[in-house]
Amino acid sequence: MTAWDPSHPLLEIEHLSISFFTRLREIPAVMDFSCSVMAGEAMGLVGESGCGKSTVALAVMRDLGRTGRITGGAVRFKGRDLATMPDEELRRIRGREIAMIYQEPMASLNPAMKIGAQLAEVPMIHEGLAKAEAWARAREIVADVRLPDPDRILGAYPHQLSGGQQQRIVIAMALMSKPALLILDEPTTALDVTVEASIVDLVKALGEKHGTSMLFISHNLGLVLEVCDRICVMYSGEAVETGAIGDVFDRMRHPYTQALFRSIPLPGADKTTRPLVAIPGNFPLPHERPRGCNFGPRCDHFAAGNCDAADVPMFAVAGDDRHETRCLRSTEIDWAAPAKAARQAQRARVGEVVLRMEDLRKYYEVSASRLFGGGETRVVKANETISFEAREGETLAIVGESGCGKSTFAKVLMGLETATSGRILLYNQDIQDTPIEKRTTDTVSSVQMVFQNPFDTLNPSMTVGRQIIRALEIFGEGGTEEERRAKMLRLLDLVKLPREFAERMPRQLSGGQKQRVGIARAFAGGAKIVVADEPVSALDVSVQAAVTDLLMEIQRQNGTTLLFISHDLSIVRYLSDRVMVMYLGHVVELGTTDQVFSPPYHPYTEALLSAVPIPDTHVQKKRILLEGDIPSAMNPPPGCPFQTRCRWKAQVPGGQCEREVPPLVTLAPGHQIKCHLRRELLEGMEPVFTIAAE
Amino acid sequence: MMEPLGWGGILARAAVQFLPVWIALAAVFAVSIRFRRRLGLYGKLFDSGIGMAGFAIVMFWVFTALFAGWIITHDPLAQLSGMRNVAPGTPLASAEGLYPVYLFGGDSLARDVFSRMVVGAQRVLAIAPAATLFAFMMGITLGVPAGYFSGRLDTGLTFLANLVLAFPVILLFYLLVTPEIRATGIPTALAAILFLFPILFLTILWNSRFFTNPRKRSIYIGVTLAVGLWAYSGLAFNADPLGVFAMDPNLLNVFVAVVFVNAPTVFRIVRGLTLDIKTRDYVAAAQTRGEGPWYIMLWEILPNARGPLIVDFCLRIGYTTILLGTLGFFGLGVSPESPDWGSTINDGRRLLTIAPHPAVVPALALMSLVLGLNLLADGLREESLKD
Ligand code: SF4
Ligand code: SF4
Repeated sequence: MTAWDPSHPLLEIEHLSISFFTRLREIPAVMDFSCSVMAGEAMGLVGESGCGKSTVALAVMRDLGRTGRITGGAVRFKGRDLATMPDEELRRIRGREIAMIYQEPMASLNPAMKIGAQLAEVPMIHEGLAKAEAWARAREIVADVRLPDPDRILGAYPHQLSGGQQQRIVIAMALMSKPALLILDEPTTALDVTVEASIVDLVKALGEKHGTSMLFISHNLGLVLEVCDRICVMYSGEAVETGAIGDVFDRMRHPYTQALFRSIPLPGADKTTRPLVAIPGNFPLPHERPRGCNFGPRCDHFAAGNCDAADVPMFAVAGDDRHETRCLRSTEIDWAAPAKAARQAQRARVGEVVLRMEDLRKYYEVSASRLFGGGETRVVKANETISFEAREGETLAIVGESGCGKSTFAKVLMGLETATSGRILLYNQDIQDTPIEKRTTDTVSSVQMVFQNPFDTLNPSMTVGRQIIRALEIFGEGGTEEERRAKMLRLLDLVKLPREFAERMPRQLSGGQKQRVGIARAFAGGAKIVVADEPVSALDVSVQAAVTDLLMEIQRQNGTTLLFISHDLSIVRYLSDRVMVMYLGHVVELGTTDQVFSPPYHPYTEALLSAVPIPDTHVQKKRILLEGDIPSAMNPPPGCPFQTRCRWKAQVPGGQCEREVPPLVTLAPGHQIKCHLRRELLEGMEPVFTIAAE
Repeated sequence: MMEPLGWGGILARAAVQFLPVWIALAAVFAVSIRFRRRLGLYGKLFDSGIGMAGFAIVMFWVFTALFAGWIITHDPLAQLSGMRNVAPGTPLASAEGLYPVYLFGGDSLARDVFSRMVVGAQRVLAIAPAATLFAFMMGITLGVPAGYFSGRLDTGLTFLANLVLAFPVILLFYLLVTPEIRATGIPTALAAILFLFPILFLTILWNSRFFTNPRKRSIYIGVTLAVGLWAYSGLAFNADPLGVFAMDPNLLNVFVAVVFVNAPTVFRIVRGLTLDIKTRDYVAAAQTRGEGPWYIMLWEILPNARGPLIVDFCLRIGYTTILLGTLGFFGLGVSPESPDWGSTINDGRRLLTIAPHPAVVPALALMSLVLGLNLLADGLREESLKD
């Protein structure tokens, strides 16, 4: 192998174009993409889904499938072209010098093989290491990825580990061969925020320790800011801006980058100080890309005759190091101009209490072993003593990670399950024991839900209009078919979808559009309370803002009470009036948004806040990393639910945290915290975010 | 008297006889390919070579069955003197007013093999899809609730299904068609149960959908029940007052047996699909707006399971065709004169060494139909997995 000079880029992609060929047409996925990664550098590749960022990664691995082909340009690794390299050599490089980590950890693990054997296999195959040596290396690296009790892990099967642990193993496996380049494709998207934060921290530390270069693909600008040195923003198959992290974040020179930043909420700001601005229009489909600048139809600075004349090349930005933008007018635009003020949204008038929960509990019984049923049964305490009230026109955010009981809570409220004990009062009417079949149409139509996954929320084999009409039929709205049809069209207007969509099938709609239909369906019966279960978390950032705004607008018009379930604290801060933080079935903190987002915090809220990646270079965060994973609800720890991961536990004398469930303490009017910590300690907490003066 | 035909002549004449089939095939393909972008999954079939080939073979036999009256050269039951076991292409001794040649030869009773094959297609294509359809109705009506409700119901039904599956198929057939068993009335009772399922299925289907609109519901259910029960009385008990629906008791047995052995497999497939689909958000959305379980099962879950079910339907018709052939081969459940492929193969078997054609021709027909169905299923599967 020819020697490679480390002062040259480790990975160099030059004018790469990739197309997929279907029977119908050629679909260009990536056009004229260039970037280079130096040794030890971390490069972030960001963009919305369908922008081609994953395709670039696959091209580096030369794994484009049968239909994908590189149609131009070159991918050079250590100066050698990967596109023309013989297969034999490529295989060697793929295992040993370039490793890839995917979003879904189980996709990379063999479910039938113990972790230790899978890890040891790597150096045994690639370097011909002896078995004992390979196992020693595996053990070392498992400790390296900060997994507790490496010996137990080595002897476990993948399914015995949690998602976070699996992803650590995948990272360990990738590191076994000491690669020079690590490609991470959305490595933490499937994980909870606090777990994500610790994995990101791990990746960063390992990168520094081994001097590994990284290509980090993500849709999350905040994560990229935390991990990477350089960034490349992609839009519709092209790189639109690339440069050092600081330059791009603080002195962006492409309208798309700027629009992207303006459409995401920051936890340091709410809708009055920094209103979200959605990017108008939709992402162009690959075969419908406009002439000239791809971003043209959605760009505020579009100049006809100039921007749509010919393909736009990359221009260097004067004064910055390797900072380039694909915009013709980057020098003419006034980048400091504030966003065009969106309509100032006033908050809805908060009225009477419409929903009250008192000491709600929901326990499930599961038999420990299904084969010999009837023996031992275990109780899963999905919800413990939940009490709160929600008023008309109010937005109450329910925040928590997986297993915190927020979905069980929603099920009980909707009547899909009945409560074990406690009360739910809807307009002073007890509904906790009434399953949905027994509820009156009125009750059912006044409590509705918006679901998380846009690709799953609509029945794929029914037209959009039919689905809404069905909801109207069930809720007894409109007397005749014609009336219902008219009402359905008005609902489409309400969610700002064109009326033609009534005849479309769900697969012809984009994710954001489907979510709008889901919202229309929820409001079909004039819902008074809408439970929105992560309604925007699966959408692209530029669409999130628009859907969020829509929800809030409808809420304002109808005085709806919105229960907004989310793990994304930025969006919670942006839109909610009050916040309820849940952990393992308990409400650990409840208060107004300002109370929850500033000290005193519950120790869990503090960690959760610190785990949120923030795409703003001015915000300083206190880093609080939580040890381990969320305990299983089947087997919760005794005493305080958070005691296994709490960093404040030592401050409580006498091991009280491990023995007693703390009481809900009222700190200020409307602000409650479930913690044993003394009041002085709570009040002495430092804020998680500090905004650096400019 | 004309000369015996060579293979070229035979095939050319056969091709001419099949002329209506060619025309129909050409028309179907022309129209389908022209409008394939608007025809959903069926249209996409024409993007796949395998799917198109399979569809062509299957449609060939379907049209053959439809136009059998024009295609056949002789009465399939007529025995012409001097034509016993004659080789393919042998001319008739005295061809007054008759087609002058036995294209694929004559069988041991001096009947025309070609015509018998064509009419056999009619028999096979009348029974196999219908029996498969009934099996699907039963499998779906039981499988969806088993998957959706889980628990006891599921355990019980799955156990029953496994019980039937564990029973040797051929033995089951023997039992069902032996006169002694028939005398006990068990096959009729089974038929009474099996034929009830389509009526049940449709009634629930309409009721769950239209209960918000009582007038529409009454019309749909009324029509279903009237037609259904009328057909039911005729098919299951041979007691149709108007005499439109009737089924030969032999055929009834075959039918019942085929449905009975196929339904458990369909049940298991449907149950598995339901278990998967019921976790989707649109099912939860239906639950939270207070839909009844049957609406959710039949209108939210079932339509989204259709892809794999259609593929399985094609495969299962092929399987049923073979099963019918096997039955015929053993001489079970069909009249001895019947030209269906299975019995014809059996008849020809004894003289295989002297005159192979009476057995080989229906065997090839059977094979090609099953092959076509399998190719069609493959094509459908491939295309439905795309996009
Ligand atoms: S080239 Fe024109 S349309 Fe494209 S981003 Fe720049 S200003 Fe906007
Ligand atoms: S009660 Fe103890 S363990 Fe629980 S959050 Fe408070 S300090 Fe931490």
